[in-house]
Amino acid sequence: MASYNRLSPAAAEKLRAVVGEGRFQYGDAVREEYSHDEMPIYGRYLPEAVCLAESTEEVSAILKICHEENVPVTVRGAGTGLVGGCVPVAGGVVLSTMRMNRILSYDMNNLVVHTQPGVRLCDLAADALAHGLMYPPDPGEKTATVGGNVSTNAGGMRAVKYGVTRDYVLAMTVVLPDGRIMKLGKTVCKTSSGYSLLHLMIGSEGTLGVITELTLKLVPKPRMDVSLILPFRDIATAIASVPAIKLANLDPQSIEFMERDIVDSSAAFTGNAVFPTVVNGREAGAYILVTLVGEGEAELTAKMDRLGEVAEKAGAYDTLVVWTDGLKKDVWAARSAFLTVIEAETKLLDEMDVVVPVDRIAEFLVYTHDEAERQGVYVRSFGHAGDGNLHIYCCSNDLEEDEFKRRVKKLMDACYAKCTEFEGQVSGEHSIGHAKKEYLRESVGDTAYGLMGAIKQVFDPKGILNPGKVCHDWEGGALDA
Amino acid sequence: MLKILVCVKQVPDVNLVKIDPVTGSLIRAGVPAILNPLDGNALEAAVRTKEKYGGAVTVITMGPDQAAEALRECLAAGADRAVLLSDRAFANADTLATSYVIVTAAKLLGEYDLIFCGKESLDGATGQMASQLAERFDASQLSSVRTVLEVDEKERTVTAERELAGGIETAQAQLPCLMTVEKTNYRPRIPNLKSWKASRTAEIEKYTSDTIPGLDRAQIGDPGSPTKVPRTYPPEKGPGGEMIREGSAAKDAEKLFALIADRL
Repeated sequence: MASYNRLSPAAAEKLRAVVGEGRFQYGDAVREEYSHDEMPIYGRYLPEAVCLAESTEEVSAILKICHEENVPVTVRGAGTGLVGGCVPVAGGVVLSTMRMNRILSYDMNNLVVHTQPGVRLCDLAADALAHGLMYPPDPGEKTATVGGNVSTNAGGMRAVKYGVTRDYVLAMTVVLPDGRIMKLGKTVCKTSSGYSLLHLMIGSEGTLGVITELTLKLVPKPRMDVSLILPFRDIATAIASVPAIKLANLDPQSIEFMERDIVDSSAAFTGNAVFPTVVNGREAGAYILVTLVGEGEAELTAKMDRLGEVAEKAGAYDTLVVWTDGLKKDVWAARSAFLTVIEAETKLLDEMDVVVPVDRIAEFLVYTHDEAERQGVYVRSFGHAGDGNLHIYCCSNDLEEDEFKRRVKKLMDACYAKCTEFEGQVSGEHSIGHAKKEYLRESVGDTAYGLMGAIKQVFDPKGILNPGKVCHDWEGGALDA
Repeated sequence: MLKILVCVKQVPDVNLVKIDPVTGSLIRAGVPAILNPLDGNALEAAVRTKEKYGGAVTVITMGPDQAAEALRECLAAGADRAVLLSDRAFANADTLATSYVIVTAAKLLGEYDLIFCGKESLDGATGQMASQLAERFDASQLSSVRTVLEVDEKERTVTAERELAGGIETAQAQLPCLMTVEKTNYRPRIPNLKSWKASRTAEIEKYTSDTIPGLDRAQIGDPGSPTKVPRTYPPEKGPGGEMIREGSAAKDAEKLFALIADRL
């Protein structure tokens, strides 16, 4: 198991010299926000120093120093993760990419954008749209950085049509743990040229190298889109409609599901009760939200007709058309607020981000709710019905933290085992971090887990990059904040 | 069976409108036009009243041909009939000329028991239209309506709750009555597929200055508008904010209190 040195004052001075006074925090000046992500239940760990790098060369210089000094380095984007991925559990240096926030250039002939990793997803999406193009990955957390999205292979709402972040990364510049700079991938769409180190970097959560530049694929902006709300009696009926929707040849951009209670909370929190709760005289218990895209109104109308027929057969109370831009904004703002709402209403929070086959979502949710009831933990869920990616939040407002953690552990042990039984994945887009390592090992098996560890060893023999994450063991005395 | 009229306006989405810093005029190019949001609340109140008592809802607007899109939105959300008053001769109308054209045309189409309006438009925001329309229709008026409680067709009265600064007032008025509606209880419904589709192909009845008989040309458009706008300008910008970054929440708070204390 790796052991590290503390950052010496002399080494700290070297780092300060690389980034300059204004972009360096050391000792007491290190801000508390760097000790956690958005899931503080997994612990707070304050780094010894923070460097806000602005270039590949600076990142390289920082890593060289830390490599020589045997000091751990944890890369951090916007800190919006949910599994402690950017949390420096072994102390050392946090390397923030937030100042590497420039969109460098567009190549309109090859439909790609060159960008630094610290650009926020919402900024890249808006800028691409202004160029008449769309960056298809659309994770719920719009203030996350694209570098973070690539490092976790984030998916999001449009994955059902366009795929996930991995499908849009063509090339990148990476700095290895010893400071060497490497370019991976090319601005072309096909390759049959050896092991894909590019794809190994994607989803590696900052454990193999530091991404300092990205070349991302874009698509032409769809001409028209419409969202449709399908209210159902309950979640089981709602989910049961999804395979039929996917079979109807509509090529939907999104198929999201949401339970009534989270919709109610979102309405109360945002003051925006956009989802109707009583539809044709009946109380809705769950909703499916579908987005269709097309070249014109006639094409969309034909698709909506087909969706309407499928929805009616599946028991939807109605098919509601979200046509105007204002309404679309309201509906999707309500959807995007779900996690914020849960965080605001909950004292103790933990989460699962499992993926199960689409036709087993309802069964999995019923199992989870039953187990949660048995453990006395409140569960709230929403997610991507089209690809089986569920966001399940375990909540409590009255348990002591230790008791909550004990109960949630039991609940999660059962749910992840069930997920494995269903041939599902531990995480669809939130990743492993240090929170889900044991569940990853159980899911993939010792052989695969061991290979992951061996790969980590090849890239990072000293284990200084993001210690204790994904498949890397580190149980040293944490430098608790 | 109630005869209900809803007066609406298509407006630029002012959240997206920029102001030319030199001329002070609104830059509307490329800005999407939307149904005035408060008019959506008025429509919802009208449609719910129709659903409760029976009747028909006519929606009327004055504007360019593109304003038909706002009328279709109203048809999708429960209106039965849509009327567009569109003519270059109506251009540059102030509220006086607009209310004259709308009422002259609406009276041709029939009589109304209830007239609903949003309380103001997102762009002009004069809030003058409702009172002018009520006067010209010779109707009573209830402003700031948060709930339509009861319509008594026999007694020819409407009872409604009004949302006032200090509380809620229950008021009764004679029909015909014009009501401006608060958004509190009347979020516009999301249309279902059937009504949305019907709205896309429904007939929009269009009238021009030539097809509204008896229209006095001196009272329409620019000549009929006594209001002159000598200048529009953006509000002056205040000084930018100051970021407090003292290194910790406690130190940030300390600094903030010190700054407030300095200014008191």
